[in-house]
Amino acid sequence: MFPKPIKNYSTGTQLAYKLALPVALLLWLLPLLAIFMTSIRPASDIATGNVFGIPSSFQMLQNYGEVFAKTDALRYLINTLVIAIPTMIMSVALACMTGYALAIYRFKWALPLFFLFIAGNFVPFQILMLPVVDLSVKMEIMNTVPGLVLFHAAFQTGFCTLFMRNFMKALPFELIESARLEGVGEFQIFWHLVLPLVKPAIAALCVLIFTFIWNDFFWATVMIQDDASLPITVGVRTLNGEFVQQWHLVSAASLLAAVPPVFMFFIMQKHFIAGLTLGATKG
Amino acid sequence: MNTALASNQNRFATSTQQVGIASLVLIACVFVLYFVVSTSLVQEVLGLQSQIEARVPTFFLRLMLIVGALTAALFIITGLSYYKRNKLAVTPWLFLAVGLALFLIYVIIPIFQSISYSFTRWNGLYDINGDWTGEWVGFHNYKVLLDDPNFYTSLKNNILWLVLYMLAVPIGLFIALFLNQTVRGIRIYKSLFFFPFVISQVVVGLIFTWAYNPEFGLLSEVWSWFFCETKENIMGNLTRVCSVDPPSILGDEHKATYGIIAAGLWPQIAYCMILYLTGLNNVSPDQIEAGQLDGAKGWKMLWYVVLPQLKPATFIAVVVTVIGALRSFDMIATMTQGGPFGSTNVLAYYMYDQAVGEGVGRYGYGSAIATVLFLIMLVYISYFLWRMYQDEKEAS
Repeated sequence: MFPKPIKNYSTGTQLAYKLALPVALLLWLLPLLAIFMTSIRPASDIATGNVFGIPSSFQMLQNYGEVFAKTDALRYLINTLVIAIPTMIMSVALACMTGYALAIYRFKWALPLFFLFIAGNFVPFQILMLPVVDLSVKMEIMNTVPGLVLFHAAFQTGFCTLFMRNFMKALPFELIESARLEGVGEFQIFWHLVLPLVKPAIAALCVLIFTFIWNDFFWATVMIQDDASLPITVGVRTLNGEFVQQWHLVSAASLLAAVPPVFMFFIMQKHFIAGLTLGATKG
Repeated sequence: MNTALASNQNRFATSTQQVGIASLVLIACVFVLYFVVSTSLVQEVLGLQSQIEARVPTFFLRLMLIVGALTAALFIITGLSYYKRNKLAVTPWLFLAVGLALFLIYVIIPIFQSISYSFTRWNGLYDINGDWTGEWVGFHNYKVLLDDPNFYTSLKNNILWLVLYMLAVPIGLFIALFLNQTVRGIRIYKSLFFFPFVISQVVVGLIFTWAYNPEFGLLSEVWSWFFCETKENIMGNLTRVCSVDPPSILGDEHKATYGIIAAGLWPQIAYCMILYLTGLNNVSPDQIEAGQLDGAKGWKMLWYVVLPQLKPATFIAVVVTVIGALRSFDMIATMTQGGPFGSTNVLAYYMYDQAVGEGVGRYGYGSAIATVLFLIMLVYISYFLWRMYQDEKEAS
């Protein structure tokens, strides 16, 4: 283990380390803590310069309630769910199939196609923007939620395929060969043998894609102008314009937008990290 | 012998039947999709006010027909004797079909379309007959680009982002080393340190816009501890008097980009940290012991024993940081919108601004900017693919 375990040091160092931990964390999360404090104080505090001290009164419920009452925050949150969940299901389902094809079958196109998925996954969004808008207009789904979902699902299939293919490549291939010798069909192998084995990968991808889509801002701004279908990221920025100088409300709305991904991260931590750190250990 | 033949014939019979029915379904689906379904028809059937409201139901109707056609096609293909003879060659394409088609339509083909747009002058519109209204202008857009001061500002900022964003890698490593211990509650610390990455960049942007606010932001508060004192004026009100006024970071064209990059580093450091924590978890204890026997300690141990083992983590950290730097858009859009005076533009934001910004609509010019950004990214993508190719060759 590196660095040297702290318990091998003197008691003084150990104590210093244990003290340094919370201090470092506090400094690291200071912006977040400060914005949380702002979101629970009355507007008068900010005007009088009490930004960092103890709030003169705790207005958590009032402030957050006001955000819901005065704005479309609730609808924005629901819209985001309506965009994120179908995207998650579609891209993960498609990637299970493409990943299976690229990992299990040995054909000469397997590697070039795999690289195509990876390369496409890394291109800048701006090079896709105008043709995708044009295509969506032609398909009559511009400015609708399904239009955005379809694009997101297609794009995220690239990342999911990269992930799934590498995960499936690590499965014991003999298992599949022996199933083939037994006369099990290719689709049965996929459904009854491989899918149950990649459940952890499916979970990891679901959490990741959900978070990615929840936090997406660029594509939502480009593809959706209609106020009724806006997701929360764009909504929060619009609110920022509406609540000029009302930082207690802006911060409350911002934190609302951050809660679901944070919640998702905490309950699915293991999968989340496994997904993000794919490839950071082998090689 | 006889029974075998009979069952064989039987199987043949069912599969012909299956292929026949599936073909009918396929033809019906395609026919309805192309000649019957339209938004105006759906609008009439559902009794909707406008075609715009009918677009979503029409989409779902089309989607169902496409799914029907694909299912029928699957039945036809798996019913053919050709499929049964070439199972292992055909099946991967069946699994790939939908995902690959979507990816080609929405990601790969648009890249080339964008490049071709960059040689045109076009505002994104079609005339009433549905004909394209642009014109072909050759390299004109690129020539204009070379004389555009905003383009150079964006390019310079992109380089600044690339260079400064790289700080996330060593800082991430440093925090990972700091947290790689086994004291009580360390797991919670690790996940709390990771927090900034989970939050949307828009929210991070808003948090920092507030933090940088010179009147009541976090920074001005910290500033006032050092440079300001609170005085009572003649009216008896408390006012703050500062020897040096707090800087307005986002309002100053020489500081704004650095302010945004600093905000962007926050989540990126968290990402690099988690990559290194995973990497450190897998560092082999034997080698560390061997290093200790050789007298390696502290920095030497880190440099000669640990870092080489963290190479895969470093590689991924560099890749995601480069991509993150070149993709920086959300933060600029939330924090400054490219201002003040275009000083925080990067190629990604400038392209968006030119193509769909208010009153602009220069599709051709925007595409030229996007193409330049793509070519820069292509250098890194090629390197990344080359590295992966080496790994694959080693593995097989």
